[in-house]
Amino acid sequence: MLLVLVRRVGNMVPTLAAVIALIFVLFSVIPGSFMSGLGDDGRTMDPAVMERMRKEMGLDQPLLERFVKYAGATVVGDLGTSFRTREPVTKLIAGRLWPSLKLTMAAMLVAMAVGIPLGFVAALRPGSLIDTASMVGAVSGLSLPKFWLGLLLMYFFALQLKWLPSFGYGDGGLTHLILPAIALGVSPLALLARTTRAAVLDVLNADFVRTARSKGMSERRVVTWHVMRNALVLVVTTVGLQFGSLMGQAVVVEKLFSWPGLGSLLVDSVFQRDIPAVQGCILVFVLFFLIINTLVDLAYVAIDPRIRYG
Amino acid sequence: MRLGANTWIGGGLFAVALAVAVTAPWIALTDPVMDANLLNAELPPSMEFPFGTDAQGRDIYSRVVYGAQISLTVGVVSQIANSIIGVTLGLTAGYWGGWWDDFVNGLTNVMLAIPSLIFALAIMAILGPGLVSLLIALGLTNWSYSCRIARAQALSLKSQGYVQAARILGYGPFRIMFTQLLPNMLGPIIVIATLGMGGTILAEAALSFLGLGIRPPFPSWGSMLSDARETIAIAPWVSIFPGLAIFLTVLGLNLLGDGLRDIFDPQATTRRA
Amino acid sequence: MKKLMWLAAAAVAVVGFGTAEAQQTPQTQTPRKGGTVRMTAPYGGSLTSLDIHTSPRAQDDIAGKILHRTLYNWDSAKGQPALELAKEVAVSGDGMVYTYKLLDNAYFHNGRRMTADDIIWSYTRIMDSTKGFPGARYVRFIKGAVDVEKGAAKEISGLRKIDDFTVEMTLAERVNPGFLFFVGVTAILPKEEVEKGNFNSNPVGLGPFKFVEHVPGSRLVTERWEKFYKPGKPYADKVIVLIMGEAAARDVAFRNKEIDTSILGPVQYVAYMADPVLSKGILEVAEMFTRSMVMNQASIKPFQDKRVRQAINHAIDAELIVKRLAKDKAYRAVSWLPSSSPVFDKTMKPYAFDPEKAKKLLAEAGYPNGFEFEWTTSPNESWGLPIVEAVLPMLNRVGIKAKAKLIETTVLTETAMKGTFEAYIGSNVTGPDSLSTLKCFHSKTPRTACNYTAFNNAEYDKTLDEAGQASDPEKQAELLRKANAILYDEAPVWFFNYNKAVMAYQPWLHGLQANPTELAHQYPEDLWVDERSPVK
Repeated sequence: MLLVLVRRVGNMVPTLAAVIALIFVLFSVIPGSFMSGLGDDGRTMDPAVMERMRKEMGLDQPLLERFVKYAGATVVGDLGTSFRTREPVTKLIAGRLWPSLKLTMAAMLVAMAVGIPLGFVAALRPGSLIDTASMVGAVSGLSLPKFWLGLLLMYFFALQLKWLPSFGYGDGGLTHLILPAIALGVSPLALLARTTRAAVLDVLNADFVRTARSKGMSERRVVTWHVMRNALVLVVTTVGLQFGSLMGQAVVVEKLFSWPGLGSLLVDSVFQRDIPAVQGCILVFVLFFLIINTLVDLAYVAIDPRIRYG
Repeated sequence: MRLGANTWIGGGLFAVALAVAVTAPWIALTDPVMDANLLNAELPPSMEFPFGTDAQGRDIYSRVVYGAQISLTVGVVSQIANSIIGVTLGLTAGYWGGWWDDFVNGLTNVMLAIPSLIFALAIMAILGPGLVSLLIALGLTNWSYSCRIARAQALSLKSQGYVQAARILGYGPFRIMFTQLLPNMLGPIIVIATLGMGGTILAEAALSFLGLGIRPPFPSWGSMLSDARETIAIAPWVSIFPGLAIFLTVLGLNLLGDGLRDIFDPQATTRRA
Repeated sequence: MKKLMWLAAAAVAVVGFGTAEAQQTPQTQTPRKGGTVRMTAPYGGSLTSLDIHTSPRAQDDIAGKILHRTLYNWDSAKGQPALELAKEVAVSGDGMVYTYKLLDNAYFHNGRRMTADDIIWSYTRIMDSTKGFPGARYVRFIKGAVDVEKGAAKEISGLRKIDDFTVEMTLAERVNPGFLFFVGVTAILPKEEVEKGNFNSNPVGLGPFKFVEHVPGSRLVTERWEKFYKPGKPYADKVIVLIMGEAAARDVAFRNKEIDTSILGPVQYVAYMADPVLSKGILEVAEMFTRSMVMNQASIKPFQDKRVRQAINHAIDAELIVKRLAKDKAYRAVSWLPSSSPVFDKTMKPYAFDPEKAKKLLAEAGYPNGFEFEWTTSPNESWGLPIVEAVLPMLNRVGIKAKAKLIETTVLTETAMKGTFEAYIGSNVTGPDSLSTLKCFHSKTPRTACNYTAFNNAEYDKTLDEAGQASDPEKQAELLRKANAILYDEAPVWFFNYNKAVMAYQPWLHGLQANPTELAHQYPEDLWVDERSPVK
């Protein structure tokens, strides 16, 4: 177990280093600048002021020098100073992390609560109407643009039925969370339903289940004991992979629902060319993905002791 | 080989979309760009304008028809690019191993770790909105799954008898990779590409929503839908038709992908996240 | 004291020209104390900074008007700047020295009273030679400010404290300081709080509401400042600013009564006007923004010919675009100065839509078969791509082939400043100071400052120089009108429209003013909500 952890953490280092270098290069060639962006609503910027800002932000220094500085600081956890707020990027990100996590977890909960049972039911009667209907239904959710789905949810649940607030974070309560969580949760839901169905089907046809059946174990016990446990490995993998990338996928949903997460911070920062904040956000997404994947691996080993890492 | 309902429905939907795209110049009623007439703005569906008109007074039917060209081009071209990159990297990595394998593995890890929509967003911001930028943004950022599959297959196949035999016969590594290994992994790769195509069309819509999609001169479904989002309550037809076009096409691709997977790869059904 | 205007809960707004008249309501309704006002920040994403000196964006000044105060304010009733932090001002005979008697009851939210030192410190900070504060362009008009900017002096020589509540300002150039110091980026801030280093998270100002909480990207919560200097104000207990860049989502939220104000785009404007209930809560104003296609004379040859530029103005049916695409949420532009400018010449008529004349002018200029150009545009719905898409066929009809090139709004300013375009469509602030607005076409104004067309006309320069020297306001107005008429004839841009800003408000919200410099900028001490407001 410990070995797995050490190996995985060790593997993260080159990935992170590559990501740091990559995003630096990408965003150093982006057209437009924070300074010119300040004048984007028709209020022109003063050239002398822009020049001073450039200096203040260190953008006048040679690229290589900036990279060395940036990479060095990143290693010790300093993500630089946001152009917009002139405060540490880590502070900006800290404020957005919890809303982001909350949305991601809620979306994952929605996906699991609906997707897993759906896949399970479908697998028990393969080829039946229930099977086809639930799979087409799940895939339908996957086939809608997220902003469109979100808007439809807003219109229906907020405006027509008046059940839920349509936007925003509110005081951080549950009611504001539901609609964005559904909008975000629909695509992992579909994938989870498919995975569960496939995993259950695989196991149902496996030898040891047939053996259990032939031994006279009741169908219900077969399903609960053998199938559940063995399918769990695959489901956990999917959940983990989805969860790891979901935070980064939340961009559109966060923008639509004015949700103060990392996704909307990232988009705002890209459009305003607040490069340190952009780099910081991407780094957090990547780190989150890597950490979740490591946890998935650990869970793997815990659930199924047969899996060994050489 | 049994074709499931998925395959038929999905394949059918996709075939219709393809047919529309190919025949667009003949089945469109008007030019989707130059036939703007503000006097006809936002008319509901009628005989003259079967899907109604948009805010610029353009025929939505014609735009949806031409939009198929753009959206499918985006989907197909970028998935082909992804598959070529992924397969080439994966095959060579799996076959040669060594430092190259380590390098490709590292690269794949990086691509997997950066959310692809965000990667695409960054590339769009750098290159500026437009069709070519979009093809680059979506065609370069989504190859990690096909790469992984190609690599795994190459690893498991390269020790098999017929590959060994080919080597003894003096086949060069590329000849072995592309004539012996590649045909054996085409199935899963096509599945990944089919499913990825749907994802790409949705990604185009998402980028349009964020203000970084393709724009003039031709319409894409994503940008049409994104432009129409404010009129959802007052002129619903402006958004319904491009929305339906996206939905049905992506649904078709997803069902087709699922169906193909059942055919090609009945065991491993879960690798794709 | 400024005359207050109340908005009738059930009256349709009157469009203000120059003196923006919001509708007068019967004085029977006395403002209610208490309640919460929920405003929206509609322009894109999260607030840049609550240190208002650092950001000139309209979005940020919505919060700025709540937390902070400037020496002057915009008086929408009179259509001019009015003293805000001073009781009176004495002006020297040559118009160069202004002596302000400051308020002696203005308190920062930390309880300290504002004095002359705060004015001097704030303006000096803005000129900091090591930092870029956007307000420098305004403070630079004070004598000696440039020396501070260059690092040659520590203090602005033109600012002198006479006593705690009297400050003397000597100008470097003859301008109306009201136009300079009503702008949010010149707010007066308390030195001791700014120097703590976390001002963005703990902003302290002179405004009517003090800071409570900021959830970046979501909302700003403020509560009544009891020691605010206007007696009996503010009315509301709380003002909340909700950040909502997405118009479609804002529409749902407004209809769902989750927000009290919303800025409307053309599409929603039509929908709201057609709605029997929503149409009763619409406030409109002619804003001081001119939308135009800027033609870069330094790029391609055809644009150097006046006849070509006139032809373009004749070839486009701007009236139709304003009506159909902008849904009448704009006023047809005549020349550069907006109709809300005090020197706007109402007798001038916009370029007539006349494709035949356009073709004739093109032929005279030597382009009988038209020409091609690349048209840079942002995705903006009111002055971006949709407009371009509608114009392309119109230009095509007179033989001009334009090719649209889409860029992000963020890149547009940079493109304009660098001159890397043939033509671009954009929106420019064209007020409230008409003289400085027109200076953008003076040949001495560099491109980076705002002469994006590379306009160079000797007669225009002369007229504008004279206007700058004129001491008689009447004479100056006359000269400015003349300069604006030259621009009309020379047509350095395609004159498209002046923005009509439209705000929807809930029936329980009162006290909005039709601010033509930016409708989203409300002075929140005047706002109040009646019992019908759903939030307690």
